[in-house]
Amino acid sequence: MPLQLSPTDVLGRVNRDVERSYLRARNGLRYVRGSNRPKLGATPKDIVWRRDKAQLWRYRGDPVRFAQPLLIVTSLVSRSYILDLLPGSSAVEFFRNRGFDVFMLDWGIPDELDGDNSLATYVDEYLPRAVAAVRRQTGCTELTMAGYCLGGVLSVLYANGHDDARVRNLVLMATPLDFEEMGPMVAALREGRLDPEHLIDESGNVPADVLYSGFFMLAPTTIVAQRATLLENLWNDEFVRGFQAMAQWTRDQVPFPGAAFREVVELFVRRNALMDGSLPVGGREIDFARTHATVLNAMAENDTVVPRAAAQPAGALVGRPERRHELLLRGGHVTFGTGRSALRHTLPSLADWIAAHSDEHPQERG
Amino acid sequence: MPSNLPLWLKLVLRLERAVGGPVEAAVHSNAYFDAVAELNRGTRRLTDALEGVSKRGLHLLNLPAGTDIRRVREQLARMDRRLLQISKELEQLERARDTEPV
Repeated sequence: MPLQLSPTDVLGRVNRDVERSYLRARNGLRYVRGSNRPKLGATPKDIVWRRDKAQLWRYRGDPVRFAQPLLIVTSLVSRSYILDLLPGSSAVEFFRNRGFDVFMLDWGIPDELDGDNSLATYVDEYLPRAVAAVRRQTGCTELTMAGYCLGGVLSVLYANGHDDARVRNLVLMATPLDFEEMGPMVAALREGRLDPEHLIDESGNVPADVLYSGFFMLAPTTIVAQRATLLENLWNDEFVRGFQAMAQWTRDQVPFPGAAFREVVELFVRRNALMDGSLPVGGREIDFARTHATVLNAMAENDTVVPRAAAQPAGALVGRPERRHELLLRGGHVTFGTGRSALRHTLPSLADWIAAHSDEHPQERG
Repeated sequence: MPSNLPLWLKLVLRLERAVGGPVEAAVHSNAYFDAVAELNRGTRRLTDALEGVSKRGLHLLNLPAGTDIRRVREQLARMDRRLLQISKELEQLERARDTEPV
């Protein structure tokens, strides 16, 4: 049957196309000029502790429903604001609105002062002090620790490496343990095709650009598809805002401290030592099954940065066997922080699990 | 791919995947990383040679070269890190002294 369009329909379509053309031109100009960039990591917060570049943030918000605060430990290779990208599309905001007292440990941007930072610096120096600060702030004895990406590995090492860790729940979000599954750049480091010493600059760190190149080379042509999709949706303010935010985060890598990088290459990549279920850090062997915490290993099925195969072994290695849980989520690496699948599936699933393993707060904080 | 996309966008996305697959296979191959490593080695050799020449010229005029500045920056960074480490050790000693029973 031929498509029947009334004059009103035609006029409506013309109106819509004219309006969208105008919006495309306006947003295109703004995009090219770089103006109107969204403010990222905007959920109101207070700095409650700091040491060197590391800062601990406590997010303000509604009354707290749960007795155990939630401490998010971020990765060393990307900016923490992926977990608090935009209002309405923020993991931190989501957890806060669900009644958790949310803290985030941000490592800052390393410079030449941080070149000697090793895994022990994070596991034995910063993390215990940050956890102590959370306890001081909240008066709690136990907490939920949620580590994202490499932050998950640090959380595993902290929770198992300190007798006084008192981590009730350990949530691992896209946490790589099997580095044989981590993709071509890691394979090149393992096989000696790339020399880690050649990647470290005079500041003693791996420059941010090197890390960006590594991530970019995972799928170098997708930028074309992304730009074409942006062009089609340029009239849509909300889409452009989200696109700009993600583009900024993707480009905004931070240098990786050289000493920690050498350890990562030697222990994680070349020896694949995390798969032994223990790791030498700070002069002792940390056994991953030592923690009393209930462990949730959450991974995303379409993650290309930390493939599911690299994250899956955490479910069999971390924590006591009777306290291990697993959660397979839709989406990719950023589903733990932002995006439609994050808000519809990932964050509600994570929040439900943490809530089920936390106590209701006897007194709500106003 | 959603069916409501305009034709031009569908074409671009198909083309991107058609080209992207082989490109990804190429840049994830051992040959690519060997080529990158070789290119890096070549670039480093060339840079060293050029820096050697310019360094000799600048030193003739009693001027510091870029390599001198880099070395000083590295030394400063090392010294900064050492100072930071000493201040942390001092802090630990002070804390241990404060917690000792009198």
